Amino acid sequence: MITVSHYLTLSSVLFILSIAGIFLNRKNVILLLMCIELMLLAVNFNFITLSRFLGDAAGQVFVFFILTVAAAESAIGLAILVVLFRSRKNIEVESLDSMKG
Amino acid sequence: MISSAVTLQLPALQVALPLISAPLGLLLRRHRLVWALAVVVCWMSLAISWLLLQQVLAEGTISYAMGGWAAPWGIEYRIDAVNAYVALIVTGIASVVVPYARRSVEQEIDEGRITYFYVLLLLCFTGLLGMTVTGDAFNLFVFLEISSLSTYALISLGRDRRALTAAFQYLIMGTIGGTFVLIGVGFLYVVTGTLNMADLADRLPEVTQLRTLHTAFAFLVVGIGLKLAMFPLHLWLPNAYAYAPNAATIFVAATSTKVAVYALLRYIGSVFGPVISYEDVPFGEIAIILAVIGLLSCSFVAIFQSNVKRMLAYSSVAQIGYILMGIGLASKTGLMASLLHLFNHALMKAGLFMAVGCMFYRIGSVRLDDLRGIGHSMPWTFAAFVLGGLSLIGVPLTVGFVSKWYLVLAYLEQDLWPLAFVILFGSLLSVIYVWRVVEVAWFESPSPRAAEAREAPLAMLVPTWILLLANVFFGVQTELTVGVAGLAAQILTEGLR
Repeated sequence: MITVSHYLTLSSVLFILSIAGIFLNRKNVILLLMCIELMLLAVNFNFITLSRFLGDAAGQVFVFFILTVAAAESAIGLAILVVLFRSRKNIEVESLDSMKG
Repeated sequence: MISSAVTLQLPALQVALPLISAPLGLLLRRHRLVWALAVVVCWMSLAISWLLLQQVLAEGTISYAMGGWAAPWGIEYRIDAVNAYVALIVTGIASVVVPYARRSVEQEIDEGRITYFYVLLLLCFTGLLGMTVTGDAFNLFVFLEISSLSTYALISLGRDRRALTAAFQYLIMGTIGGTFVLIGVGFLYVVTGTLNMADLADRLPEVTQLRTLHTAFAFLVVGIGLKLAMFPLHLWLPNAYAYAPNAATIFVAATSTKVAVYALLRYIGSVFGPVISYEDVPFGEIAIILAVIGLLSCSFVAIFQSNVKRMLAYSSVAQIGYILMGIGLASKTGLMASLLHLFNHALMKAGLFMAVGCMFYRIGSVRLDDLRGIGHSMPWTFAAFVLGGLSLIGVPLTVGFVSKWYLVLAYLEQDLWPLAFVILFGSLLSVIYVWRVVEVAWFESPSPRAAEAREAPLAMLVPTWILLLANVFFGVQTELTVGVAGLAAQILTEGLR
């Protein structure tokens, strides 16, 4: 029998994976965006599960808002990356850290 | 008849007006027209928030059901002294920054993109006002994202190549912050089944011992902490402020962290209530410790910056330390000092960034080396900078003095002498970093660029001076700010011992 806690465990595993991804990743910037996406999906999963088990549809309505926000976020992120790549030919995390004034 | 119908709709208009004008601006295309539209919208919003504040002071809390859907089901806009005050800060700053922005933006941003700049500014303005007036926890998240998304884009419009990396850094950090807020909201929804703030405040005391509630609290504080640049979470701020276009820096520096502080206050003061926030959870102690470390370390770092915008950005983080010190104290005077500093810091930081923006307009740089001797070629701009600096330090007769006075009072009230000395020591550090600029700009022989510079155009100088005179005006005439901040602090500390 699959219970609420199984779903919630899965979503927290996804969440922790994404946080770890953001902090451990030293190579590719696109991975950062993917981790953020994953993080928002973990939250969505949380909302859907709880709305299912509380028997209240509002939780699932929120998910649509969150999906929109996530899409806008990655659109802006990718747009910045494209411009950045044009000017530097390189999108590694280390090169982003060279921000010395 | 008509006027009373409009008065009833004021809370909705406060958000709807800039929201509708943003796409309208996109249709207008000609950037001068969009600028004029933005100025009119900002001034109208200022009038609306002023009327709302008067209404709140006269009649008490206003509750507005969006679209006629009654409160716990529909979205409620709930305006009391706290958010009427914050909305006044945001609209006030916007109505001075947008007129200033025209010359500065025309110089810094490519012709074809100026329209987008104003549209983004209006969207950011919408998001901030929405966060301020809404009484719904999920709605607050949506507006938080509207303002953040437009801020990322605003920052990336900067001329400097590093603006892009700064915007990307902020995007990552900001999204993590947003997600944390979202999880917190989700947990609140699980334990209570509602997202209306007033409704949450009623139901949460029944479930105070649940661990879910404490988790929600932690996630919300960390998430909002990222947005307001609470000490270890401030790393995105200096780069974002330093490389954004000047007009965007002024607006964002003066308003967005303030609104995030408001969101924090709303959660700890109204939603969770001071009893849960300060007694069940050690929020106060943690906030004070982080604030003190942030205040001292960022002031030190500010002393060693060679870019004046970056220096002011670090000083912003330090000033947020003062605000958090007041919040952490869990007393009415402390919260009142924080609310006062919210208003006062917006005034002084906007004024300082505007003066720096004027210098950038003439010499195209904000590095200390290039600012040598600028005080002689741009005396009015430089005088404005000095006045702003004095306010930042907290010299009597300026707003900076008023809020620091109340903050020190709040600490003396609780017999916390050492921390009161920390506040004074922080002021001493700000004397050092303001003096560094004064020394270079006034006492050294002019750099080649500074020697050729002329006084900034009136279109920029007048808004700068309006803000700096406001610094003096509200430093002498403290009735309005102290009165409203006191009332707001009263609302937020209800139920505390």
